[in-house]
Amino acid sequence: MKEAEDKCQQELAALKKEFEEFVYIVSHDIKSPMRAISNITTWIEEDLGTVENQEVLANLSLLKNRVNRMENMMNGLLELSRVDRVELEFYEVNISKMMANSIALFETNSNVEFTLNTTLINENCVTLGAKLQKVILSVLDNAVRFHDKENRKVGVEVVETESDYEIKVSDNGPGIPEQVASKIFSIFYTVNSKDVVDTTGAGLAISCKIMKLVGGKIKYTAGINNGSIFTLIWPKIIILKN
Amino acid sequence: MGNASILLVDNRKAIIESFRKSFSEIEVKHTLFSAANENEAWSMLDGSQKLSPVPKIILIDVNRTKNKGIQFLNAIRNHTDLKSILVFVITDSETEINKAAALNLNIAGYIPMSFESQTLNSFVSVLNEYWNIIEFSSQK
Amino acid sequence: MNQKLVNILLVEDDEVDVMNVKRAFSKNNIMNTLFVAGNGVEALEMLENHIIPLPKIIILDINMPKMNGIEFLKIMRENEKLKNISVFVMTTSNEDSDKINAYNLNVAGYILKPLSFEKFLTSVATLKNFWQLCEL
Repeated sequence: MKEAEDKCQQELAALKKEFEEFVYIVSHDIKSPMRAISNITTWIEEDLGTVENQEVLANLSLLKNRVNRMENMMNGLLELSRVDRVELEFYEVNISKMMANSIALFETNSNVEFTLNTTLINENCVTLGAKLQKVILSVLDNAVRFHDKENRKVGVEVVETESDYEIKVSDNGPGIPEQVASKIFSIFYTVNSKDVVDTTGAGLAISCKIMKLVGGKIKYTAGINNGSIFTLIWPKIIILKN
Repeated sequence: MGNASILLVDNRKAIIESFRKSFSEIEVKHTLFSAANENEAWSMLDGSQKLSPVPKIILIDVNRTKNKGIQFLNAIRNHTDLKSILVFVITDSETEINKAAALNLNIAGYIPMSFESQTLNSFVSVLNEYWNIIEFSSQK
Repeated sequence: MNQKLVNILLVEDDEVDVMNVKRAFSKNNIMNTLFVAGNGVEALEMLENHIIPLPKIIILDINMPKMNGIEFLKIMRENEKLKNISVFVMTTSNEDSDKINAYNLNVAGYILKPLSFEKFLTSVATLKNFWQLCEL
């Protein structure tokens, strides 16, 4: 019985490794021909000079845009495949500071009003700092990016429990339609057409994988008056299954 | 791209000041450290005043201090942790006594320059743009 | 400033990337003679057998068949005649290990190939300014 279980574990580990290698090769080696397409398109544009047919130029521009989209998707895939392979250093993080610094990165570029509330006994925690930072930035980026109002508000709340840090990011944006709420953590899924909002849709998938890695949780709930609330439950103690 | 610290080795205070001023005017984002001689520079790389992280770029005039500059570069190139540092020789000497020796040590550039502020600014500007397009390893 | 134009050797296996460099050079009015080798083996042959005049600058890709850039660089640095040539890595590899190996073999710079041609043009312009600053 134990033998069968061990064999299963081994096969699982091998399969995981093969998958990650596959994703890496696919997203890494495909970049070359992609770059070629983008560059050659630019050369054609340049060589055409001033052209009567505006449609031709518009189509070339569309071509480059789609190649850019491919590159972003490749980068997203690459990042997803690396979640449990890189940046696995534990170091001391000041939770309040990290939240404040993350918010500061968005404050200059957007017309968003941020509020931050922290109720912490232990502000410092030795954890996978790079991973935590990545998830926070991802969720904040979504809150800022997917907005339909003039007065955009994003509220960040951090509460400490005995075993974890609960980080809530709420916004007064359009929220996510109930029918698709379960899909948002799939890679490349975007609620709106990618022509409307130019984003690859990899952020939440990557965040979700990170949360799984650390033994935490990320969940979406609808806010009162529409809007979205993303709750991260980040454990104080992380045990990596290596 | 990335942030690298830069170590300038020169025994002339005025030159060091000129560089600092230039770095500030050009808004170079890399941190500039300075050492008045090769010994001090060494202690900042591997001695009592060791900088952390270790600078990824060194600016030095090997024509000024007889052989000390070349010996310093030699020592760097023979040191496991320091041998990968990018070295730019910046010199206003008419005589290029140590140019060949420096080129033998795989410096990144041998740059004859003038330290008058306007010209210095244009040199620093080109160097800065160059430092901004190259990648650095994330080693400490 | 030194007006004599030095020879440049491009070691690159991808046909489109070679066109990229040629085009970017031309747009930036870089008039230096450009030689091309398709991989490390070819490059060594060209250099060791005097098939081309000795270049002062080598632009080196890393991922190439037969012999990759790092292997080529190792051999080059052990050759008395070739070890002082300035090498600029131009690659798609963002791997730290490649950067470390390259700098340990004393390249003058490590540049990532950008996706867009416009960005590449700017990088080449910067390289040109840097080369003009140096006496090779």
